[in-house]
Order: sequence, then C-alpha cells, then structure tokens
Amino acid sequence: MKRILKAGLAGIAVATMLSFALPVAAQPPKPRLFVVTSTTDLHDIAHSVGGARTEVIHISEGYQDPHFVEAKPSFVLRLRKADVFAFVGLDLEVGWMSLLVDGSRNPKIRPGSPGYLDVSRAIPVLDVARGNVDRSQGDVHPSGNPHYWLDPENGRRIARLFRDRFSQLDPAGAATYAQNTRAFEASLDAAEKAWAPQLAKLRGKPVVAWHTSWKYLAEYTKINIVGFMEPKPGVPPSPAHLAGLIGTMKRTGAKVIIMEPFYDRKTADFVAARTGAKVLILPPSVGGVKGVSDYLGLLRHDIQQLVNAL
Amino acid sequence: MRFSAAFCALVASASALSAQTPSRADSVARADSIARADSIALVRELEALQSAAPDSAPRMGPGQGPVNPRLMPDISAIGDIVADFSPDGSTIEGGRRFDIREVELALSSAVDPYFRADFILGISDAEGIAVEEAYATATALPWETQARIGRFHMPFGKQNTTHRAELHTVEYPHVIQRFLGPEGLKGTGLWGSKIFAPFGFYQEVLATVVDHLGEPEEELATVEPANKRLSGLGYSARLRNYWDVSEASNVELSLSGATAARAQPILCNGLPECAGLDGTPGINVRQSLVGADFTYRWKPLERGLYKSFIVQAEYMRQLNQKHPRESGVTGTRVEYLGPARDAGGGYVFSRYQLTRRSYVGGRFDWVDNDQSDNGRTTAFSGYLQFFPSEFSKMAAMYERYKPGLGERAINRILLQMTFAVGPHRPHPF
Repeated sequence: MKRILKAGLAGIAVATMLSFALPVAAQPPKPRLFVVTSTTDLHDIAHSVGGARTEVIHISEGYQDPHFVEAKPSFVLRLRKADVFAFVGLDLEVGWMSLLVDGSRNPKIRPGSPGYLDVSRAIPVLDVARGNVDRSQGDVHPSGNPHYWLDPENGRRIARLFRDRFSQLDPAGAATYAQNTRAFEASLDAAEKAWAPQLAKLRGKPVVAWHTSWKYLAEYTKINIVGFMEPKPGVPPSPAHLAGLIGTMKRTGAKVIIMEPFYDRKTADFVAARTGAKVLILPPSVGGVKGVSDYLGLLRHDIQQLVNAL
Repeated sequence: MRFSAAFCALVASASALSAQTPSRADSVARADSIARADSIALVRELEALQSAAPDSAPRMGPGQGPVNPRLMPDISAIGDIVADFSPDGSTIEGGRRFDIREVELALSSAVDPYFRADFILGISDAEGIAVEEAYATATALPWETQARIGRFHMPFGKQNTTHRAELHTVEYPHVIQRFLGPEGLKGTGLWGSKIFAPFGFYQEVLATVVDHLGEPEEELATVEPANKRLSGLGYSARLRNYWDVSEASNVELSLSGATAARAQPILCNGLPECAGLDGTPGINVRQSLVGADFTYRWKPLERGLYKSFIVQAEYMRQLNQKHPRESGVTGTRVEYLGPARDAGGGYVFSRYQLTRRSYVGGRFDWVDNDQSDNGRTTAFSGYLQFFPSEFSKMAAMYERYKPGLGERAINRILLQMTFAVGPHRPHPF
C-alpha cells in the first residue's frame, strides 16, 4: 500500500514538475523589442530583421494613402509602449506623426532618442528640391521623394539600418539581427536574379504615372515615366493638363498609366480611352492588394504586372 | 588506448564547444564590433553612391547635415476672411460686410530636451494683437502624463479645442459662443493629462487650473477680484473615451466639467454705479458648466481620399448661482442682473464628403436663454466646402437663426476663405 502511495506521490510530483516545465518549453521566446512602423513595407523588413526577438506592428495599411492617415487615439496606445518607432520620413507622415508621437508620452520614441528612427537618413534620396521651394509647386517634399522602398537596393539599406538600431538597443541579439539581415539580403539577391530577364524587357518602355511615388521603381526597372497624371505633386489633374498629357502619350507611345489603388481611376480611364492605353493599378506597399503580403512579394508582383502590361 | 583516444576526443569536443559558446561579455563586444563594422561599411557604400551619382539625379544620404542649422522654430500663418451677404444687414462682429476675422500666426519648436513651446498670436481689426495660446509642454514626464503651463484652449467639449479657422463650420456652434465665448474658451494656468487603457480602449483624463474662465469681464468692477481665493480660480476636467468600431469607423464619447467664480452685473440702489467701485458694478458668482459630446467618424481606408462622414453632437449645461449671498458692497441696495436660471444648449452636426475636394454639411443648434424661462434660440445652418488643396478652404453657409422671446428669425449668408502658409501642420482629428 505504502509502495502504491509512494508511486502515486512520485507520479503527482513528476506530473506537477512537467506541468511547469512543458509550457515554458513550448512558449516562443519573449520579444525583446517592441517596434512600431508607420508603413507595412517597413513593418515587413523590420520583421525580417528582428525575427522572434521583436514584435512589430504598423500604423498605416498598404491600401491607403500614407500621406493621409488619421491620427486616431488608438494609434497612440500602440506607440506608448514602443521601443522603436520607425518611419519613412521626408515629410511622408507629416500630417499625423507628431500628434501620435507627442500623444504617446513615450520618451523612448521622441526625436533624438534611439527609438526615433527616421529611415530616410540611410537612403540616397531622389528629387531633393533645389533652389527656392514653395507650395506653388504643389504638395512638395523639400527633403526628397519619400517613396524609396520601391527600389530593392533601398530595401537592403533599410534592413541594415534596422539591424544596426536593433543591435544598439538589444546588443544580445546583434548576431541574430545580423544573421537575419544576411538571410533577407540573400533572398532579395535570389529574387533579383530570377526577375532580371523581366527587367530587361521593361528597359526604356514609356509609361505615365499618377503620382511621383513610382520614380524609385522606374529608376530600378528603367521604365521611362514620360508624364504624371498629377500636374504637380498632390494636385488633381486639370482638363488642360490632361490634354497636354494625352498629346505626350501619343507622341511617346506610352501605353500604360500606373496608379495606386487609393486614387479614383475615372480620370485615368478617361485618358486611357483617348490614347489606347491601359490603366495598371499597382500596390505601392505591402498589403496594397490581396496576396501581396511581404516586401519581396510586393516587388515581384509590381514587376510582373509591368511586364504583363508592357 | 581506446580509453585515452576517447578522452582526447572528449577534451577536444569540449574545447571546441567552449570556443563556440563565448561569455556574455565577449558576445556583446563581438556584436558591437559587428554592428560598428557594418555601419561603417554602410556609410562608405552610401558615400560611394553619392559621389557616383550624376548631376541630373541629385541624391542625398546620411551625413547630409542638419535640416535646420539655425534652429529656427516652425513659423506658419493662417488667414481667415469672412464675407456677410445676409439680406437684413451684416451679422458679423463690427457690422462689416467683408472682414479679416483673424490672422493667426503660430511659432513652435522644442525648447530643450524637456519642453516644447507653442505660440499662437491672433491678429484682428477688432482686437489688435492678442495672445491666443502660448504654452510650454513638458515632454519628458513619467507615467504617460503630459503637462502644460501658459495659455491654452481649455479642454472642455469637442469643438472648443479646435481653432476657429480649422472648424468644419464657419463659426463655433451657438452654445459654445454663448457659454464659452465667440472664439472658444481659453485659460491661463496649468494643464495636465494622462492616458490609460484599463478596459482595452483609449481613455484620457485632462484637468486644468486657470486664472479665470473665459474672457475677463474688464468692464465690470468688483469689490475683490474673482481669483482672490483659490476657490475663485477656474477649474476644468475632461474624460475622453475613444473606440475603433472598425477599420473605417470610430466613436468618441467624452464628458467635461468646469467651474469658476465669474463677475456678473449688479445695480446699486437701482443705478448702474456703486460708491467705491470704479466702473460698472459687478459681483463674483459661481458659474459651472457640465457637458457631454459624441463623435462618430467613418472613412474607408482605401477610398478615404474621396469619401468620409462625420456626425457630432454636444450638450452643455450652465449652472448659475442665482442668489449671490455676499456682494461686498455696503450701505446700498444691490440688485443682481446676472443669469437667473440654469441654461442648457447643444448642437448636432454632420458632414459628408462629396468628392476629393468638396463637402456638404448641416448643423442644428439650440441654446436656452439664461435670463428667462420662455426663451430658446434655435438655428439651422447648411454648409458647402471646397478645398483647392490642403492649405486653402472656401466655405459657404446659410443659417436660419431664430432668437427666442418672439423675435423674428434672421437669414444669414456667410462666405469664408482660409489659407495657410508655412510648414505642414498635422491634420486635426
């Protein structure tokens, strides 16, 4: 009887120990850094670099205009515990970011703190304004064009910047961040090799874009943007501008109008009907259309769509 | 022999293992070294890219220097022009048909790592130059708190915290104009706020203590100033509650309260002057305000440039001390002329976005008369707004304004244009 009792007690003790030990073993490691990004593209790259050591969330969605995000108080709640707030910069988030950063009362992500990460500081930026700049030129970004993530080389730069900043804030994870960055770059290298033949087909092809957001992709793919639907950045097209643009398209043979999913396509359809062009809705960001759920997928999708259209 | 070989293999694998698992200090040092080396490599790569860039494609990168080397504050200005085409004469302050209602000049910058400063000056023909707001915000406080010192819009109600030029309508709702002032309620003093989310949604408590509530009653002379006792200062509190209903819609439901001693007019022996008081005689009485506001917003993310909808309602109740106990004026019969009853008022406002640049809206207002039981002002107004860009706005308003006490209704037609220059300011939410 005693033996049975002893065996039973031992069994209970072992079961108790296992019940404590097993869940611990099953739980994933707790993230060391809580990262909030302004866009889905930065979110995906930060997640690739940070891996399980980071928890990453984003504020804007890939299918909305990142210039016009509403400064909702619920975003303040996301930011108040952040270790890092990474944003595109170059005034892309100027309409909402300061309200959220101030509202969060989080000293870790205030300007000048290591958690305040202006990603544009690591990027060779296009369209930096020269000479006098004012709003007669439209909704200009004086420090440069902020849509830089659409060049994969800038994707690498963003990843390296995240690696360095995450390593600074979480030195114990530096080796992991470096390894993840190498893996991210390797996958980007492989993808670029795979789509190199497609890029060759795009070189020099004339297109029209709605907004200046496609300039980096054009630099990379070597497509030739011969005109913009917007007469000036952020300014909706006027009839006079459209008449000139139709002439330009006929003269250059541009047969594709590239635009983001959040713009109204009626005007683009109007121009397309008069030029025989095709309106190509391309997502500028991860999540911009269904099925584009990561950064590599975004680039692959946009390049494939361009090849199909041109 | 077999044993010694096994021992040697064990020692070798142990030393190999120890080589693969360095101490924590080694690991950190190595990580730092990797990070430094990688950062230097990155900078060199970018410098090389910059030097290789052709002139036709200007490129900038790290080390491009400060954006604002002289540490100048952000300076912006908003012009607010109104025109009154009401059929029975101008209904705006000063009786003008065209008026520069206000030019708002704003300066803001970080003061140091601990404070940010904001200055907003209002310039108008009626008031000259006035300090609309001037406050320092402490940005480095613990426990998710924030504090301000200076003059600021009082956090009472919803629209009161928005500057007049940035309103969805041409003028503040009548209840705000009547109870809080034609330009909203401002105060000079201390402001504190804390955010929290114990129930999973956003909540914020805001509290202020100010020298006085609203515009000082300069023309009223009282025996002693309202702020002589601490109980005579202005106090306010507000609780904000915010929920995301869906990705595209959200709700805010908030409560506000404020109290202060405010000067109200009196008659001495039936005359508007009192011995010993230099000016129109007044008496300090307690006036309190309570309010609730509700806002529903809808803006689908993908179509948010073209479609949005907002409905907003606000109710305020003014609680007046009806029978002041102590006038402080001796040797004379004092007759109180201040508010004789409590009064309530509110509005319901809605706005729908028609196109990327145009909106249509309407508002219904009502305000009780605080002197008489049978008086209630009502008004209905409709709006059309057109935004040539984010930095300019044109609005047309028609209002049917019906004062209480049997007075005849007034038709008002106002046009407004606002335009802003300077750095892009955040969009109010």
